[in-house]
Amino acid sequence: MIAGDLYLIMLLLFSTGILSAFFTRRNVKYTNYIAHSIALMGCAMAILCAIFVFVQGEFKFTLPVLLPFGEMIIKVDGLSAFFLFVVGVVGVATSLYAYGYSREYEECRLPLMAGLYNAFLLSIVLVLTVQHVAAFIIAWELMSIVSFFLVNHEYEKKVNTRSAYIYILMTHIGTVFIITAFLLLAVAAGSMNFEHLSGNSVNAFMKNIVFICVLIGFGTKAGMVPLHIWLPRAHPAAPSHVSALMSGAMLKTAIYGMCRFFLDFLGIGPVWWGVVILVIASITAVLGVLYAFIEHDMKRLLAYSSVENIGIILLGMGAGMVFISSYEPVLAGLAFTAALYHVVNHALFKSLAFMGAGAVLQSAHTKNMEQLGGLIKRMPYTAGFFLVAAVAISALPPLNGFVSEWLTFQALLCLPLALTGIIGKVGSASLIALLGLTGALAAACFVQTFGITFLAKPRSKKAEEAVEAAPTMLIAMGLLAVLCILLGIWPQVMLLLLHKTLQTFSSLDVTMLGNQVWYQIPLAQRGAGEGISTALIGLILAGGGLLAYVLYRNWEREKISGSETWTCGIVPNPRMEYTATGFSKSIRLVFKNIVHSYDETLVNRSSSQYYGRELSYQVRIQYVFVSLVYRPINEGIIKTATFMKNIQTGSVQLYVGYIMFVTVVVLIWSTRW
Amino acid sequence: MMDFFFSVLQSVGILVCAPLLAGIIKKIKARLQNRRGPKVLQTYFDIAKLLQKDSVISPTVSWIFKGAPYIYFAGVLAASSLVPLFIFSGRGFGDIFTLLYLLALGRFFLVLASLDAGSAFGGMGGAREMFIAVLVEPAMLLSICTIAFKAHSSSLGALSSSAANNPFSLAYIFAAIAFFIVLIAETGRIPVDNPDTHLELTMIHEGMVLEYSGRRLALIHWAAAIKQMIMILLFVILFLPWNIVGAASVIGLIGKILLVSIGIAFAEISTNKMRLFKVPNFLAVSCLLSLLALVAQ
Repeated sequence: MIAGDLYLIMLLLFSTGILSAFFTRRNVKYTNYIAHSIALMGCAMAILCAIFVFVQGEFKFTLPVLLPFGEMIIKVDGLSAFFLFVVGVVGVATSLYAYGYSREYEECRLPLMAGLYNAFLLSIVLVLTVQHVAAFIIAWELMSIVSFFLVNHEYEKKVNTRSAYIYILMTHIGTVFIITAFLLLAVAAGSMNFEHLSGNSVNAFMKNIVFICVLIGFGTKAGMVPLHIWLPRAHPAAPSHVSALMSGAMLKTAIYGMCRFFLDFLGIGPVWWGVVILVIASITAVLGVLYAFIEHDMKRLLAYSSVENIGIILLGMGAGMVFISSYEPVLAGLAFTAALYHVVNHALFKSLAFMGAGAVLQSAHTKNMEQLGGLIKRMPYTAGFFLVAAVAISALPPLNGFVSEWLTFQALLCLPLALTGIIGKVGSASLIALLGLTGALAAACFVQTFGITFLAKPRSKKAEEAVEAAPTMLIAMGLLAVLCILLGIWPQVMLLLLHKTLQTFSSLDVTMLGNQVWYQIPLAQRGAGEGISTALIGLILAGGGLLAYVLYRNWEREKISGSETWTCGIVPNPRMEYTATGFSKSIRLVFKNIVHSYDETLVNRSSSQYYGRELSYQVRIQYVFVSLVYRPINEGIIKTATFMKNIQTGSVQLYVGYIMFVTVVVLIWSTRW
Repeated sequence: MMDFFFSVLQSVGILVCAPLLAGIIKKIKARLQNRRGPKVLQTYFDIAKLLQKDSVISPTVSWIFKGAPYIYFAGVLAASSLVPLFIFSGRGFGDIFTLLYLLALGRFFLVLASLDAGSAFGGMGGAREMFIAVLVEPAMLLSICTIAFKAHSSSLGALSSSAANNPFSLAYIFAAIAFFIVLIAETGRIPVDNPDTHLELTMIHEGMVLEYSGRRLALIHWAAAIKQMIMILLFVILFLPWNIVGAASVIGLIGKILLVSIGIAFAEISTNKMRLFKVPNFLAVSCLLSLLALVAQ
């Protein structure tokens, strides 16, 4: 029971972390080191605990603390351990990063932030490990509320407060659905223990209701379109290490919840479940990356990119659900492997990217790409690590993003085996094309992000004065960058882990992952010899590049003369550089039916009619779902409220009258039976 | 591991032959326009000449600019080792998605390099290159789907043998035209891009590499030629029917490559470059044809 002990130590550490932040609040420097060190150790314990669970098998505690609802049950099985592992890895990096990054907040309630940070980690690990309905919902709420406070940390800025309120509102709408889903199953099972929950105890209709509730409830947390609107607001508002944790770890708890329901509780459902997820997932992926592409705020861009990646994860899960419904366990295994692999990848590269953006923000004091530029010379290491994240997010080989995207492609390619007929074929082909479009857009988006932020000349004074980030921040980013590369060229480690995670589910068959050639990812439906090996691809790439380089170097020393960039005879200045707005304009115009943008060129002719006019260019983007869904709902609610105000006159007698009236109606109604 | 060595051998072959193919297309195009045109081997001479030249590099740039040609070259080279010229090549370590994403890797770095120098030309070229890439990707995958669904695999060996054994059909014609459109867009030829000009209104690929000179430019030209050859080979192997796989078919293969070259040259002389914002429609035609091919199967 080493895993169990480690688990308890982890809980203890996080709790101590919360308290330590309180007790050391007089000296914020100490708080920074102590609280974040404790968080770091806690996360390390989470990783160790997960590894021990993988090696020795699951463990279970029953603590009689949750008295009104029975006992609190903590159980770490393969699925929990897998997500615990992901959270642990991200947490280690963000805690390291927090040492350097929190210095920004020494004047700004650092102890509170550090304490909440520990509480946030604690709530996430609780969500992943408690196996009891009431305890889960309490942990879930704790996670939402703590993250709300973290989003709202810099409440002096009005925009942050607004973001935080939208976040808490959306997340609570989600929670309503989650509670409904849990209660429907718990009432049918007569128990709140996860082990007793089962979709078979309710009829087919109720099962569908549970499915929809799960999809909406956890979908809200995951950032599924159209429930994603909180995400691009909340992530940029939070401090960067918290954004990294929110994107890397918190969104994944929603995926964990979906996996728990779909694989564990609900069992085999109708095919349309999977199809619905696939449709939503493809919309989520494409819309997410489109919005990311046209965004200039680095952190908002990354938040939209999270929406996209959730779409890719859901594509894998949707395909898996379709395969489960059509009794194809091997293919379902492949699809869920793809989804969970992408969970890990997204956790790694998105936290890395958020940390990079945070480093830029701390150093240049702006998140607006249009004011940055040339940072590769001022922050070489941050630039290098961000580049790794950018290549990985764009799913380019040989980094890790490619592996999971490849697996997702494989899963989608096999879809016609389950969805037969022309519609299945055309549908799967469209999904593959949309995933390809997503990949290409992501590449374009991150070329823009990296190119505009880090390359060419600085576009503002702030960017010119930027300096390299603190060493601890660099170590944290380096750690994740190395993992991104490692999981790209040696994905077999992660596949073995996924084998351990998924083999317990009866609806999946992942034996293929257990016996693989060390250098190869096998194809699901065929034997050995078919598959890809990113290690060999990486080798060829390195070989080719090296060959070209060595030949060039040794042949004859290249003479290089320096000369300014050619700009038709004018001295080049940063104003001539391509901007992010310009870079994404063509895409914006092509997708103008989806991305409603309004361009305005304002001409100020006050000085002269022809010469020396001042031009300013503005782009406003109208978000489809905001104008289509949220604004009407918002207006509807306000209208209803105004209407209801009519009966609210303020006279107590009238209110007593209302109560009498209702009582009488209820009495009459109840006596009818 | 045997497959691996064959793949390396094959990519060396493509590396050597690619400039020749580029020269042949140029020659055919010139002949069709009643010009004499440059020598067939001119591309080799150009590359050799550029290799001897000095480089001029702007002080604005970083290592990205200096390294990008190598990465582009390596990516294209790695992709060339996966082309299913022989049935065993690329088996076990790469498939069609790997190939496409390796090409994307090169493009990613080249576009970054175009932004690095800080000129508006480079940025414009890079932005347009990414724009075309975004549109090509779904069209390409759809046309690949037409054969991949039949082969139930994405492995290039399986795709080529499935293509070889399939009877000639209407679906095939649709798929072939769809891929041909993609081929033109991806290799940067008229009507999508003009490979012969640096004119700022038309350029895409050439604008992107405007800042390059000397050896690095030679490397980029070479890599572009290899990429073009890869795309043509894919078209020949996967979309031209009556495919004979194996060493005996070398003559047939060369014949088909020439046929495609003539097709490309003919397409180039019979149209002019279309407006940038017409390209989506052009590629939408390709998508539609692929979907038709799927329905017709």
